[in-house]
Amino acid sequence: MEIFHRPDNHRLICEHCPLILPCLTVNPPYTRAMSLLKVDRLAKSFGAIRAVDGVSFEVRPGEIYGLLGPNGAGKTTTISMVCGLLKSDAGEVMLAGIPFGSDPKKAKSIMGVVPQELAVYEELTARENLEFWGRIAGLNSATAKSRAADLLDALSLADRANDAVKNFSGGMKRRINLGCALLHRPQLLLLDEPTVGIDPQARMNILEFIRQLQANGTAVLYTTHYLEEAESLCNRIGIIDHGRLLAEGKLNELQERISGDRLFILEANFNGASPDNWPDFKEHFKVIQKTERQLILAATSPRDPSECLKELLNLPVQVENVTLKRPSLNDVFLQLTGRDLRE
Amino acid sequence: MLRILLAKDLRRARRNPLPWLINLIVPLVMTALIGLVFGGGDKSGALGRIRFAVVDEDRSVLSDMLEGAAGQRESNQYLEPVFMDRAAALREINANKISAVLIIRTNFLHDYLTASAPVSMQLIKNPAESIHPAVLEELLGALTTGLSELSRNFNSAFPGWQSVIAGKSDYHQVAALIESAGDKLQSVKNFINPPLVGYEKPEPEASHPKAATSTNIFAYLLIGLAAMFLLFLANNAMTDLHREIRLRTFERYQTMRQTLWPFIFGKFIFTVVILLICSAIMLGGGGLIFRIQWPRLPEMLALCFGYACFVAALFASLVAVVPDERRAGVLNTIVGMAFGLAGGCAFPPQQLPAFLREHISTQLPSYWFAETLRNLECGSGDAPWIFITIKLVGASLLFIGLATVLLHRRLQTGTKA
Repeated sequence: MEIFHRPDNHRLICEHCPLILPCLTVNPPYTRAMSLLKVDRLAKSFGAIRAVDGVSFEVRPGEIYGLLGPNGAGKTTTISMVCGLLKSDAGEVMLAGIPFGSDPKKAKSIMGVVPQELAVYEELTARENLEFWGRIAGLNSATAKSRAADLLDALSLADRANDAVKNFSGGMKRRINLGCALLHRPQLLLLDEPTVGIDPQARMNILEFIRQLQANGTAVLYTTHYLEEAESLCNRIGIIDHGRLLAEGKLNELQERISGDRLFILEANFNGASPDNWPDFKEHFKVIQKTERQLILAATSPRDPSECLKELLNLPVQVENVTLKRPSLNDVFLQLTGRDLRE
Repeated sequence: MLRILLAKDLRRARRNPLPWLINLIVPLVMTALIGLVFGGGDKSGALGRIRFAVVDEDRSVLSDMLEGAAGQRESNQYLEPVFMDRAAALREINANKISAVLIIRTNFLHDYLTASAPVSMQLIKNPAESIHPAVLEELLGALTTGLSELSRNFNSAFPGWQSVIAGKSDYHQVAALIESAGDKLQSVKNFINPPLVGYEKPEPEASHPKAATSTNIFAYLLIGLAAMFLLFLANNAMTDLHREIRLRTFERYQTMRQTLWPFIFGKFIFTVVILLICSAIMLGGGGLIFRIQWPRLPEMLALCFGYACFVAALFASLVAVVPDERRAGVLNTIVGMAFGLAGGCAFPPQQLPAFLREHISTQLPSYWFAETLRNLECGSGDAPWIFITIKLVGASLLFIGLATVLLHRRLQTGTKA
């Protein structure tokens, strides 16, 4: 089973079990039907700013749930309340059916948290960091040492195990940051934008590692503002903006929210044009985005694309080009919020 | 858990030793500099003998008498005159081997006895030294005052003495002069001996057999500067809690553990341990460098422990009061300086302004520590070190209690709040 590619393209394989790396395996006593994490109407304000406003979602065992939203949407605040770093103003967090507040010790033993910023000691070596956080998580010395060694292998850091973290590259630091949350083999991993600020190769390595964790039974709550990550990694996605969860579901479910599964991109001079005033237009199409040169439309009801094209070519503007495409998450976000996720 | 946290902090401190080294080296360097400036250059560490050159260009009876008297009895303990010619003396002073040159000019005695011209001696001070030349200047001032008074009172007999020195008088005239001088001295005897006004300096009883017998300037300085720099070291150690919050490691700890007190108490223990190590390096290493003997080692250890506890607790409470790292850095430095300076660590507390000395300094734990230790090691040796240690530990409990309450209140809403 391949985990990471070393620079020499050597692939790591666990000696003991070629299929599943023991250091990543968890044995959750839960079925997929029940939720491992349930967040119910969570709310938090900082003064007049409503950072999180009635957010509800659940994460099931073995799934990756993505919380997608722009910077400042409330993702980190949500994750901070889920792991107990922040007290919520309202709402409830339940882990494995138990309210967080009734048994925080058990709740913390179920989850591992990877903060957005690096939370490691840069003066210490990679091995020392892993062993220290293992001990803090409650492991004895021998277990912490053994699991740290396994994780160093799995993270492709065995050859740098005794180097101080301050000498690592950004990607390597991110991997250690991730590894420190895994020593106690949590059933739920909370990842707060774990790939921010690293190069594409390092990002791919981390995403591959997360897939591996999922394959071994770990549930993941993954916050990101990268559409591609959410699309390629997450089983279900919740779209959050201004502290509110606007939509959630599997990728195709979200795409279907834009009526039909096609978007029409018209290129023309739309300067001064007012589509809502065009005859019969509002009944058949809705505008997703309009610029001077481009109009993105979706059909209001499922229809044959060729039929739609005929209507579009008869619009009272000189259409220069029409493109059909499947809606992306960004289009979903655009439709929900009226703005681009990258804005 | 505390052991794990302590091991981690000590390992981090070892990997990044610069902030600690600076605060360890500075007091040693300052002790050396100030000690040498105040003349602690001799092996005992006490103020050394003042070595100065006497250039006798007069070659008279008076200069012979001065030469003979300079090396005698008590003056020999403090003064080390060397007689040489002017050129040799100037070479010596340029080579920084002597503190000053005293030049007795030609015809000094003749002009003095005949009062034919104003007389003066010349003192050339070594600009590279400050204390010894100043002491010599004061002594020379006393000598010239004495000579002036002598001239005023015995002026009528001076021609006769001039004749004696010139070898022109017989023994009858010499005897008459002595008798006349004797009569004058007899008449002022009641005013001179015993003096009408005097002062007493009671000597403290040596209550401890191992008490230090003489003041060692390096020991005195080192204790004060160690007390001051332990404050800065504690600031460095305890504000590591701020760094842990900034680096999110405290946050990660919170996601793993429910109780926060081991983390905070671990930092307190770390600070105490690091202060004890630094005390050993400063006082022990300084003792080796400056040849200081610490006659009351167990008492010193107890005081250092009490002071380390107090200082760690003080800065823990400051960390709890000010959540912002930069503001805390400024405040802690000011508090450290204030405790050090007002506590008489950098200067002798007796030299502080009266209000500070009488109302503020004596209330400061830095003063309790430094003065008790100085008394034990450099003074009479009968300081109440047990009481002071208990006071320091008591104060530390008070501050750690305050820090716990404040931090608990602050962390209740979450570190991210």
